[in-house]
Amino acid sequence: MPQRKNDVLQGTLALLVLRTLDSNPRLHGYAITTRIQQASGDLLRVEEGSLYPALHRMEQQGWLRSEWGTTDKNREARFYSITAKGRKQLVAEQETWANLTEGVGRVLRTV
Amino acid sequence: MSWLRRVLNTVRSSRTQDEIERELSFHIAERVDDLRARGLSEEEALRRARQQFGSTLAQRDRTRDADVSLSLDDLLRNVRHACRALLRTPGFAITVVLTLALGMGANTAVFSMIDAVLLRSLPFPDADRLVRLTEITETSGEITTAAVRLYDWDRLATTFTAITNYVTEPVSDTTGVEPEMARRATVGPRFLDVVGIRPALGRGFTAREHRMGGESAVLISDRYWNRRFGRDPNVLARTVRMVDRSYAIVGVMPASFGFPSDDIDWWVPQFGDAPWTQNRQFKGFFGVGRLAPGVTLDLARRDLARVQAQLATQYPRTDSQLRPQVTPLKDALVGSVRASLWLLFGSVSVLLLIACVNIAALLLARGAQRRHEVAVRYALGASRRSVALQLLTESAVLALVGAVAGIAVAAVISRAFRVLAPTLPRLTDVSIDGRVLIYTLASTVTVAVLCGLVPAFRSSRTPTLRSSTGRAQLSARQPLQWLLVGVQVALSVTLLATAALLVRSLDKLSRVDTGFEPANVLTFRVSGAFGEEREYIRTVERINRTLDELAQQPGIEATATTLSLPGLPGGVAEEFRLVELNRDAPITAQLRAVSPSYFDVLRIPVLEGELCRRPTDEHGTTEVMVNRAFASRYVRDRSAVGLHIAARSPDRIAGIVGDVREIGIDREPVPTVYHCFSAATPIPLYLARTHGDPRAAIDPIRSTLRRLEPLRSVYDFVPLEQEIDNAYAQNRLRTVVLVSFALTALSLACLGVYGTLSYAVSLRRWEIGLRIALGSSRMGIVKQFLVLGLRVVCSAVAVGLVMSLAFARGLSSMLFEISPTDPATLGGVTLLVIAVAAVAVLVPATRAAVRAPAHVLRAE
Repeated sequence: MPQRKNDVLQGTLALLVLRTLDSNPRLHGYAITTRIQQASGDLLRVEEGSLYPALHRMEQQGWLRSEWGTTDKNREARFYSITAKGRKQLVAEQETWANLTEGVGRVLRTV
Repeated sequence: MSWLRRVLNTVRSSRTQDEIERELSFHIAERVDDLRARGLSEEEALRRARQQFGSTLAQRDRTRDADVSLSLDDLLRNVRHACRALLRTPGFAITVVLTLALGMGANTAVFSMIDAVLLRSLPFPDADRLVRLTEITETSGEITTAAVRLYDWDRLATTFTAITNYVTEPVSDTTGVEPEMARRATVGPRFLDVVGIRPALGRGFTAREHRMGGESAVLISDRYWNRRFGRDPNVLARTVRMVDRSYAIVGVMPASFGFPSDDIDWWVPQFGDAPWTQNRQFKGFFGVGRLAPGVTLDLARRDLARVQAQLATQYPRTDSQLRPQVTPLKDALVGSVRASLWLLFGSVSVLLLIACVNIAALLLARGAQRRHEVAVRYALGASRRSVALQLLTESAVLALVGAVAGIAVAAVISRAFRVLAPTLPRLTDVSIDGRVLIYTLASTVTVAVLCGLVPAFRSSRTPTLRSSTGRAQLSARQPLQWLLVGVQVALSVTLLATAALLVRSLDKLSRVDTGFEPANVLTFRVSGAFGEEREYIRTVERINRTLDELAQQPGIEATATTLSLPGLPGGVAEEFRLVELNRDAPITAQLRAVSPSYFDVLRIPVLEGELCRRPTDEHGTTEVMVNRAFASRYVRDRSAVGLHIAARSPDRIAGIVGDVREIGIDREPVPTVYHCFSAATPIPLYLARTHGDPRAAIDPIRSTLRRLEPLRSVYDFVPLEQEIDNAYAQNRLRTVVLVSFALTALSLACLGVYGTLSYAVSLRRWEIGLRIALGSSRMGIVKQFLVLGLRVVCSAVAVGLVMSLAFARGLSSMLFEISPTDPATLGGVTLLVIAVAAVAVLVPATRAAVRAPAHVLRAE
């Protein structure tokens, strides 16, 4: 039986997070997971276990910045937004991704 | 600034951790809300949310790991872990800590001495610019010079800010009811300019006060101000009395000031126009100068040589044969102690090195025992770095605990040093202060790295669990361990050889025939001063009267005076001429001024001629005594008795006395001329030969002098034997300390040999058991391990001997009548080390063979 995985592919999580934050200026971690899920039409599910380490790592890289704030439901949450450096990174990652899918697609088509 | 954040995160990791937890629980709360919105019950929603999220704890840690690479937490965890691991094996921990405490304690103590005596500058402003000025002549070597010459140097030299002179003498302080001894320094003009210190109260001396017949003036020390005047703020209106004269107090020196020595009470002005300061041959003045800013030592030396050349043409008779000598004041004060201190420091560092090697070996063995633990940690995903770091933390914890204990040990050792070597210069400066603690800290780090690095590297090299059970993979040869043992043995051989040479020197010194009998002789002084009598003959009469009266006292057999004690280092060589022998070559001999009774008091035999008579005029005698060395070297074909010897005025040689080790019991007797004059100075040293314990004569002497000279103080009562002992206390201390270091080193090395071989045996006990079971001879097995151990020991001993020979030259100046390569000593040391090491080898080797093979095999 073939394995079906709809968890986000390793290495693409950063791309998805950056893309999500690029169009939504200020989101908390939970909102990021739901946005990705929604935007993919429930095809992709962010593995929650890897989200927060990834967010913190990206913040260390300077792609994101974060601050504490309150949600509509008046809960304390940490909100993330993309930085200029993050936007550059997004462009680069999109290119990589395009190249990857193009390459994989060609292989699948020709072989 | 992500790196800054990282750093900040490291420091405030607890806050970050809290934040991470809040962020994660928010996530779960939102998820629960969503699930409930889809109609799940609250408990079900919570359960599903948690399940989906996984372990919060693991999440938290992983998130935090993204934040910080090496956090304080990790360090604390490592330390906690290390403490726990060490507490599990208290025997090991205590052994290591004690070894380090002793090693680092001794090291810190010696360093504190080096720091105080050699490294720290003297307590004066720009103290490195202060120099001692002396003169060197062909015949007498380096000696103090004449005051007038120092005045000339000050006037003519351009490279000095100022040059001054001083002499110190104990005087009788009659300010109070009872006469007391006060230490007085008579200082030249510009003294305060040279030392760079102003009086804390009052002023320095005026030019008039530096002239004969000028106003009397005295500067007093802070200690004396306290002792005598209770810190009276109006002390400047008061006077002190010396014998029968008053001196106006013009100032009080600061408490920190103590030059030429810490015990000076009074500084009084030198009279620049007095006959004794204007005499170019009256060489008893200490010169000290301050170099001008920017002037190097070399420049000052050349400048002074130029000045002296000028003086030589002006005063050819007195000034042409001498060269000025410029020495940094600190070097001049520290002198001979330098070599001893570095020797001690070197050996104590070698000892610490041995201790480190020992601990490294212990850690290695421990690492081998912990293979299983390490392998488990690898299996659980630990990185090699984190395992090595963990092991290094253990040695760091050990080093730190050892250092703290070591500082306590150092404090004890320091105190012992003070008691054992009271003559050490600048001893009062020795303390365990910030600088010393920084040194200890630095050595702690070094020790932790030395001890821990190799074992940590080694022990973290076993990445699979299998090796913990695969016995065959354990190398029983352990070349690294044996190398460490070899290093220990070699270093301890070097230390032992040094110690043994010093011991043999000391032994020879104690057996040497000095030519005189120091037992039952008491030495003391009676206060007095130049210029206290209008005519010097009064002083001569006073001293002779004192000698005669004291000799009448019960319990006292004879009394004498001398300028310097026999058997103590020091002495002045002078140039003489024998009037009757027309020889060109000058005669040099030690000149000592003694009363005629000196030879009787010290039991020095008169070999030929007769004893000189006591002179009664104020210039001293016209008769001298010479020793046998003088007679046999300079007067070969006739008797020396009756000849005339001339330095300034011709003196008749009245007799020849036996050779005495006058200038130090470690020096061969040299040709000596005894000037028979009991009052060469107003404050000669008195010697009294007593019946029985010399200390019993102290009270009779005091009471006699109270009756005879009520205004004078009597002080410095010390038996002659003890004086000589004290003069060589530094030798003895050095030897005692070095012997204890060497023996400690030897025992550490033997422990190393024993431990390593025991371990090798324990690793191979199964193999041994099997071999015995199969019929191998037990002797064969003992022999096998004996050879293994002794081979290492013997090659290490050879290396150690080579190292000793390499260091031998540096040692030779500290040895007495023994060569630094003395074969008997080195041979003895070799035998001792091999014998002791053989025992350390034999025990585990024998134990290997006597175990019942069945027992061993069953245990496996």
